[in-house]
This record gives sequence, C-alpha cells and structure tokens, in this order.
Amino acid sequence: MSVTSSSEAPVTTVATLEPIVTAPASAEAAHDAAHADSHAATAHTEEVHGHGDAHASGGLPQFQMEHWAGQMIWLVILFGILFLLIAKVFAPRLRKVIDNRGSTIAEDLANARAIRDEAEAQAKAAAAETAQAQAAARKLASDAKSKAAAELAAAQAAEDARLNAVLAESEARIRTARDEALSHVAEIATDTASALVEKLTGKAPTKAALSAAVKKA
Amino acid sequence: MADPLHQFQIQKVVELPAFEVAGIPVDLSITNSVLAMMFAVAAVIVFFSLSTARAGIIPGRGQVMAEGLFKLVDDLTESIIGHDGRAFFPFVFTLFLFVLSCNLIGMTTYFTATSQLAVTLTLALLTIGTVIVVGVLRNGLGFFKLFCPSGVPLPILPILIPIEIISFLMRPITLTLRLFGNMVGGHIVMKVFAGFIVSLASLGFLGYLGGFVSLFAVVALTALEFLVAYLQAFVFAVLTCVYLNDVVNLHDH
Repeated sequence: MSVTSSSEAPVTTVATLEPIVTAPASAEAAHDAAHADSHAATAHTEEVHGHGDAHASGGLPQFQMEHWAGQMIWLVILFGILFLLIAKVFAPRLRKVIDNRGSTIAEDLANARAIRDEAEAQAKAAAAETAQAQAAARKLASDAKSKAAAELAAAQAAEDARLNAVLAESEARIRTARDEALSHVAEIATDTASALVEKLTGKAPTKAALSAAVKKA
Repeated sequence: MADPLHQFQIQKVVELPAFEVAGIPVDLSITNSVLAMMFAVAAVIVFFSLSTARAGIIPGRGQVMAEGLFKLVDDLTESIIGHDGRAFFPFVFTLFLFVLSCNLIGMTTYFTATSQLAVTLTLALLTIGTVIVVGVLRNGLGFFKLFCPSGVPLPILPILIPIEIISFLMRPITLTLRLFGNMVGGHIVMKVFAGFIVSLASLGFLGYLGGFVSLFAVVALTALEFLVAYLQAFVFAVLTCVYLNDVVNLHDH
C-alpha cells in the first residue's frame, strides 16, 4: 500500500491544488487518470486508505479539494431541507404553542385577578354589613339604655312628687294639729287657773283677770 | 500511534458517478462527511418532529428541550436584530441546530462534518450571502453605507473605509476558520492524548502513570469539547445575528 500511496501522492497533489487555478483541463485529465488508476489497481477500501495515507503526510485532509464540491452541494441540499422544515413546520408549531401558553397564562391570571377582586369586594361588603349591624346594635342598646334611664328617672320623679305631696300634706296636718293644740293651751290654762283660784279662794275669778294672768305667765 | 489526522479523512461510503460543472469536477458520492451531515439533519428533524408533534400548553420533556432551544435563538435574534429579527429566526435557528447537531454527532458517534473546511466555508458563505442579499434588498445601494459609518470626520474616511471593507471581507473567513479550527483542534488534541494512553502504557510502570494522566486529560478534554461543540454553534448563531443586524438596521448606524 505504501508503494501505491507514494506513487499516487504527487499526482493527486498536482490534480487538486495547483492546476485548478492555472489549467483546469489538464487538472481534470490528471485527476481522472489518477482516479481510474487507483480504481483499477486496488479495491474500494484500499483506494480510500491509499488516499488517506497519501494526504496525511501532506497535511490536513481537509485541504483535499476534490472532496469539496460534493460536500458543499450536499450541505446546501441538507441545509435547505432543514431550513424549509424549520421555517414551515417546527418554528410555527413552537411559536404557536408558546404564544398559546402565554395567552392562556395571561387569561388565567386575569380570571384569577377578577375573582380575587370580586372576593375582596364581597369581603368588604360583608365587613361593611357587619359594621352596620354592630352600629345598629350599639344604637339599639344605647337607645334602650337611655329609654330605661328616662323611664326610671320619670318614675322616680313621679314617686318623689307623690311622696313630697304626702309629706307636705302630713306636715300641714301636723302643723294645724299643733296650732290647734297650741290654741287650746291658753284655754286649758285659764280653766286650770280658774279651778285652782276657785278652790283656793272659793270664788271664781273674772274671766278678764284670768286671761290677763295667763298672758302674764 | 494512530495518525490523529486520519479522523478527518474523507472516505466514500456510497459511490456515485462524478460529473463536471464548468470545468470543476463534482463528485456527489456520499462520503462519511456527507453521511454525518445527513445524520445530523435527520437527528434534528426526528427530534423536532417528535417533540412538537403533540405540542401542548403543558410541555413534555422533549418539548421543554425544543422550546429551550427555540427560546434561546428567538431571544438572540430579538435582542440583537430587534423587532425585525423574527423574519431571520428560521435561518439563524437552522444554522445553530445544524452546527450544533454536526458538532454533537462528531463528539458522540460518527464523523465531525464541521471539521471539514468545505463545510464551514459553505456555512460562512451562506451566512454572508444572506447578509449581502438582505442588505441589498432592504437598502438597495444604501447597502454600501455599511462601509461608511456616519458621524465620522471626513479626513478619517479614506483610512476608515478600506478598513471597514477589509473587516467585512474577513467575516466569512473568520466564521469559517473559527468553527473549523475549534473542531479540528479539539479533536486532534483528544486523539493525541488518547494515543498517549496506549503508547505510554506500553513503556512500563512510569508509563502507566503517564497513561493515567493522559486518560484524565482525555476525560477532561471530552467534557471541554462538548462545551466547545455547543459554544461554537452558539457563537455562529450570535455572529450571524450581529452581521444581519448590521444590514437590517443600517440607518441606525
């Protein structure tokens, strides 16, 4: 194999690197000749290996220009297929699903927000209602309290007035009784004095003298 | 030790007849690189078909992953390009998924298509081609204002315009080489350290020690390469957005 490769090396180098620029026709001829030669001489795999050995010594295999055109054309074909599939199928599918997800999430968020707002409003209404009820209850309680207090005060006042009246009447009665009693005192004293004088002297004193004496005492 | 570059060797899997277009030989044979790209694209298609087939408001596991990738790139286009970014989302998303899938196929199973210069160059040319087409369609000849930033003093323009033109022309090259270099470098280093394990272990006791160090290095590098696989896809997508933004929002400059 080393023999074939060493014999082949200059031919391929000439065919690939130099004449393509300077003399295309001769390059083709040389290349074809090399191709036919190797094809005839060796089996397929051996030919490939022969190429490899020949070029490995000469540098990177990537600079073997005879393989370029095929790779470039195949690359463009494959790239085109992939591009079409991505542009027409995969990218729209993915963009659609991502957009769908975005709108679904936005919708759900909006729904959730609306429900939350509603719940908040309801809670606020309930709180307001509670406060109102509380205020009403408080008012009712205070009303009842004040009404009771007023009733109590009124009853108390009425009772006071009645008692005062009874008191005043009693006092008046006592006063008249006392006055009456006091008015009888002089009479009793005169009577007593008259009786005493009569017993002592045996003769009833005059009324005028008696009352004067009682008044002096 | 196995040749660390052999992993990048193009090999024909299904041979198809070659033909010529304008003097350039075109060999449409299915090579390992092409097959890896087919696997990568098929993996993306299968994954997205399954994960978005029954896409619901409440996502499954696959749908979460698909939506994660979708949102990542969607936010990227939206934040870099702005409102018009949505129009370019499919392109950027395709680029991102293609590069990521190729990188991961390279990391896990078969062959790293993104370590092929032809592949990364084509991806870069697709990007820059899109940028130019979009720029011309949206701005007409105003596209060339891209090379003439507004608000710059007149005397500086003769220096600035060539610099802007060169920087624009460098964009496809840097796009190409960044992805290419990262993938090639990472895979070579992994292969080299993996080769060290075997060759050091055959040397005896001290060799075993070295072999273990290499083994740990390979494990660590593998983790790093997974990061790089994702990161390079992301960087490619970000830069595509940045370049598109330059021409989409040209008047804002």
